[in-house]
Amino acid sequence: MKRNSNKWFTVLCGAAAILIAGCSTMETPATSSVAVSKAAVASASSAGGTEFAPVEMNSAREKIALANKAMADKDYTLANDLANQAQADAKLAQSKADSGKAQLAANALQDDIRVLREELARNNNK
Amino acid sequence: MKKINFTPIALAIGILLSACSSMPKTTSLLDQTRSDYAIAQSNPNVARYASLEMKQAGEALNQANAAAEERDSPETIDKLAYLAKQKIALTQEVAKQKSAEASVAASSKERDQMRLDQRTNEADQANASAKQANANAQQANADAAQANANAEQSKLATQTAQNDAADSLRKQQEAQARSTQLEAQLADLAAKKTERGIVITLGDVLFGNGKASLNPEGLRTTQKLADILKQNPQRTVLIEGFTDSIGTTAYNQQLSERRATSVRTALQDLGVGRDRVAIRGYGESYPVAANDTANHRQTNRRVEIVISDATGKIAMR
Repeated sequence: MKRNSNKWFTVLCGAAAILIAGCSTMETPATSSVAVSKAAVASASSAGGTEFAPVEMNSAREKIALANKAMADKDYTLANDLANQAQADAKLAQSKADSGKAQLAANALQDDIRVLREELARNNNK
Repeated sequence: MKKINFTPIALAIGILLSACSSMPKTTSLLDQTRSDYAIAQSNPNVARYASLEMKQAGEALNQANAAAEERDSPETIDKLAYLAKQKIALTQEVAKQKSAEASVAASSKERDQMRLDQRTNEADQANASAKQANANAQQANADAAQANANAEQSKLATQTAQNDAADSLRKQQEAQARSTQLEAQLADLAAKKTERGIVITLGDVLFGNGKASLNPEGLRTTQKLADILKQNPQRTVLIEGFTDSIGTTAYNQQLSERRATSVRTALQDLGVGRDRVAIRGYGESYPVAANDTANHRQTNRRVEIVISDATGKIAMR
């Protein structure tokens, strides 16, 4: 039994060590996640995300702010999660902006075509 | 010994399993995400345009599902479900974007075709108006030709008129020439111009003494007169007979008429129509000299021939 307890202790110690090591190494991925999220928000913003997807943009910005706070609190897991969510929000916002713009272009073209069709009909009726 | 050692582990597994069965295997967000995923899967545009994004969303959903399967905390499940949900929404947006872009491409083609149609139309219309203009020009040409023809015709008419004028001038000249000729011939007959017209006096010597018939000399004079009348068919003559005062008035009257008649007869014989020759006997009236000497009396015995003007009229004494 004693030997078994030792064995368990060893396992627990290893797990703790691994966890601590994991925690300590969470700082780097969290930092990079936040950075990537910030870049995604900036990209979405320049693509017109604020105009086409204000909810997602706000959500992304708030989460980045929270992630920064978590980083300051050294809660890297939370920071990483928030950053990932912010990145998903920002990517969605950018995608919405892109699709919105494409839709506008398609509508403009349809309008063009309608005008042309009317013009043609008028000319043919002359 | 080993068997005894396993018992608590098996027990723990059993407890864990029972706990698991009592714990929620899903959250409302995960349910929502699954439903979103099903909707995205049924969207043909997603399969067509956003298969990569759909795959990533599917992986994210699998992670969330796995977390639910492993009875992770609802926070963990929601965290993963949220990421999956956003990725599914992203997939939908990408599909929308790509299909809008495809529509733009197709519409561009359609618009270009329509613009082409429009240009074609315009060109056709321009052609049509050019043809119309051409037709108008041809019409104008035809009109011009017509006008030309008219001008030609009026030129012809003018020429005809000129010809007519020339003709009438020529006729006038001819008439003038004829009257000049007439005057020349009449001069030959010792004609005199009086207010009544041209008068030719046939003297007594052209008649036999006390006779009405013309002697050969008188006939030659009459012949000349007849020629003149033939050349001037519009003129007529009045033949007046006169005598001296010797003898009775009745005899003289008779003699004057007979002499005038014989001149007419001679003219008739030479081809001058009877209707062109009028006669009048005046006896011893209108003497041209006193009847005192033989010479004077001879002067009084005469026949005067009055030639009409060009219209055939003669003023009576």
